[in-house]
Amino acid sequence: MTKPDDPMPDFSDVQGGSSSSAPPPATRTYTVKAGDSLSKIAKQIYGDANKWRAIYQANTDKIKNPDLIHPGQVLTIPPA
Amino acid sequence: MIAHARHWSVMVASLAGAAVACKKAPPPPPPAAPPAVTFSVTGVTLGKAVVADRSVAQPLTTFGPKDTIYASVATVGTSASATMAALWTFQTGQTVFADTQAIAPQGPAHTEFHISKPSGWPVGKYKVTISLDGAPAGAQDFEVHR
Repeated sequence: MTKPDDPMPDFSDVQGGSSSSAPPPATRTYTVKAGDSLSKIAKQIYGDANKWRAIYQANTDKIKNPDLIHPGQVLTIPPA
Repeated sequence: MIAHARHWSVMVASLAGAAVACKKAPPPPPPAAPPAVTFSVTGVTLGKAVVADRSVAQPLTTFGPKDTIYASVATVGTSASATMAALWTFQTGQTVFADTQAIAPQGPAHTEFHISKPSGWPVGKYKVTISLDGAPAGAQDFEVHR
């Protein structure tokens, strides 16, 4: 058991994900996590990292530089 | 004096009669049926794995440091679009991980969230809190033991 005077544990390497038996809405959203990139998100959602441009083009109002996205940003994910 | 005492006895008898009358009043009409819930969470179950329908086959609340931990959220109802969120926290209140899943359920469904930590989970108490479109919808505590 962690004691009160122990240093705060490091959870920076925690990995996670989610899925559902329910279908996705017509337009999906994705909340950017630390360490994400558009190609990583495209790989996770579409299974193809090269589809990052589709995500970028659906979010040009939020993303100015495709190499720079921020944790907490909610991106629109267009249908595959 | 006698008349005064009789007056009080009549009053007491009247009050008692009123109390009895209150008890015998017809029951109030049944409350109106609550509005139909279109979509809601019915349970949060933890385990080390989920099956094809995203439900947990073997519910657990204690895990080992190297386990992948799954939270399966059961829902009923329909929604054209809903956002379910899972917030995993440690006993200190520290955020372990946060995730969201957008869904459009057309009936009973399960949505799973999972976390893993290659370097191993610190021993202690954890909680996963589920929200639905920003509103609290459920939570489940669990522990990691050596």
